[in-house]
Amino acid sequence: MRLRSLLHKELIQFFRDPVVLFLIFWLYTIEVVICAYALGMEMRDLPLAVVDADESPISRRLIDDFVAGGNFRLVAHLRDVAAAEPYLERGEAQAVLVIPVDFERELYRGSGQALQFVIDGSNANTAAVARGYALQTVEAFRMRQGTLDERPLATVTAQLRTWYNPDQTNVNFTVLAMIALAGLMIGVVHPAASIVREKEVGTIEQLMVTPIRRGELFIAKTVPTLLIGLIAVLPSLALVGWFGVPVRGNLSLFFALTALFLFSAIGLGVLVAAVSRTLQQALLLAFFGLFPLMFLSGTMVPVESMPNLLQRLSLASPLRHYLEITLGIFLKGVGMEILWPHALALVVIGMPLYLAAWLIFRRLP
Amino acid sequence: MNPKRIAAVATKEAKEVLRDPITVGVALIMPLVMLLLFGYAITLDVDDIPMGVLDQDRTPASRQLSEAFTASETFRLERELSDPQAMERALQRGEIRLALIIPPGFERALARHEPSPVQLLVDGTFSATATLVGGHALAIASGFGHAAPSSALHLETRVWYNPSLSSVHTVVPGLYAVILMAFPPLLTALALVREKETGTIAQIYASPLSSVEFLAGKLMPYAIIAFVQMAMVIGVGFLWFGVPFRGSVAFLLAISLLYVLCTLGIGLLVSAVTRTQLVALLAVLIVTLMPSLLFSGMLFPIFTMPYVVQLYTLAFPGRYFVDISRGVVLKGVGLEVLWPSIAIVAVYTLLVFALAAWRLKKKVA
Repeated sequence: MRLRSLLHKELIQFFRDPVVLFLIFWLYTIEVVICAYALGMEMRDLPLAVVDADESPISRRLIDDFVAGGNFRLVAHLRDVAAAEPYLERGEAQAVLVIPVDFERELYRGSGQALQFVIDGSNANTAAVARGYALQTVEAFRMRQGTLDERPLATVTAQLRTWYNPDQTNVNFTVLAMIALAGLMIGVVHPAASIVREKEVGTIEQLMVTPIRRGELFIAKTVPTLLIGLIAVLPSLALVGWFGVPVRGNLSLFFALTALFLFSAIGLGVLVAAVSRTLQQALLLAFFGLFPLMFLSGTMVPVESMPNLLQRLSLASPLRHYLEITLGIFLKGVGMEILWPHALALVVIGMPLYLAAWLIFRRLP
Repeated sequence: MNPKRIAAVATKEAKEVLRDPITVGVALIMPLVMLLLFGYAITLDVDDIPMGVLDQDRTPASRQLSEAFTASETFRLERELSDPQAMERALQRGEIRLALIIPPGFERALARHEPSPVQLLVDGTFSATATLVGGHALAIASGFGHAAPSSALHLETRVWYNPSLSSVHTVVPGLYAVILMAFPPLLTALALVREKETGTIAQIYASPLSSVEFLAGKLMPYAIIAFVQMAMVIGVGFLWFGVPFRGSVAFLLAISLLYVLCTLGIGLLVSAVTRTQLVALLAVLIVTLMPSLLFSGMLFPIFTMPYVVQLYTLAFPGRYFVDISRGVVLKGVGLEVLWPSIAIVAVYTLLVFALAAWRLKKKVA
């Protein structure tokens, strides 16, 4: 009975602050939409400047090939390499293709021909992708020009198929990753803020002198966030539909495991609240915890590309397990038979956090 | 404007900050944690990708093909698969990211110079790496048994500003923009909103302090913290990660001062329009940290984003500072190239302060 009225109070308090609700909604929906549009794309339209010293039909065809696929976008046609430098410096061109004089003649003679491709390396990943595109384009051009007499000794024809995401878009991944990320932020920040605020304004002492037990208070402080976290997932499911993300697995399993994930995130939030005096401290600490968890989760950078030590550390991030769960349920359509280790990991991470928080909470004055 | 009064407010605020070891600790350790995580983890290099082989041919040729995969540093043979079911489960569990399927009769077809089809299955859930993994795999398979390509036409790539294509060199200068965007606004926003929340701001209004004096004094300790953070990150990036510094350090520090003012101003503006610390934190997350990570071009290049999102990125100063910082550090350019970005940051700063001052003045009156 006491617990119920306490819960009632927490829920009222929660829904009374429309700004917080709006910001939570923002994180779960608008941020997801922006990211899906912005980061869901393949890397395309790399700005390219061209120095064509040959100006022959063949050199023009090569340039057309570069632009045709949409990987590159022609920003300037330049006289010489020196003119290209400011383009790279100002970041107006990401790469410069230099076609030498007599390109056409030399190509027909079959003598050695070097095209030059200068790349702005200040973004290493973009540069690597640009180089890959350029190599592919030139390779295809070479094949089509048929100047080569080499016959392959044997032919392996590889058929490449991408499972779980046949269109190779980032959109599915981005949408699901951003939803998971929103869950983590809200799960950690909200309970931390709501508990410390009572400490700061002193109302927690009033609660302590009432017959309410610590355990009841503890539950009352954590349940609303769990509920909100689950409710907030609903609008993002509409987004999942909007962006055409497949739902191959079981949605009730998704909700159950989302609850488990929120449980571990809330555990962290409560722990932070238990050890801090002011809201500023709590929020900073929460932030301090959030960042590595987010970073090591694979939402921003694939875990596989990380060094071994970080890969192992990433196992401690609940977000990493939740991401695997989300991707597994939506994209791969798998169930508990595959996901149980991740579910177990969420429990193993969440329990000690919750316990530690509870122990500190119990000893509050 | 009375410098003595400003100094008094600044001293009081500095004392308060220093009394709070958690805040100071987080403010100083966090940028380093971010730097180390980013420095080591942000790379889309694909190597050591776990793969599985389903060899239904079991001939010397099929073994040679799978060795061609594992001989490269890109792939690591995680397991030999006995049948398609085992393969599917391994992909579902995420134990392998690539499966190579060699059908029976592979060697025979190869010996007859007939096309010998093999299948490659890529796990597409982590789309960022899936494309790269697929590309590498195709290249290895189709290169199998070929002579080295003739040199009739080849592409000579040169990478400027970052010849080793090192991700760290890309990330560290970008990180200056993110770190200065993450902490100063958070700290100032929380410090100001707390005075509102606990009611102490009324005392300020009642005192002879003008709002400009109050804000200047209040911001000063945080500006100093931000500057220490910046110096630390530059130092560690330079000494530990060996990022080359081609431009002028003094110039970058001068621009950083402007940028810090800008980010402090954003914190101020957030505090002027919010009433609780929780709202302030969420708002700061949405207007500073997320955009500076996602939409500044630090991780994801802006030119691949859709046009509308490109316009959206214009609203965040982090994007300009990423250009400035990469320009100075990696390209070694100065004012002559960077003046447009610098001018925009300057105008932005003025606007933010004007808005915040106007909002706060309205409150006082």
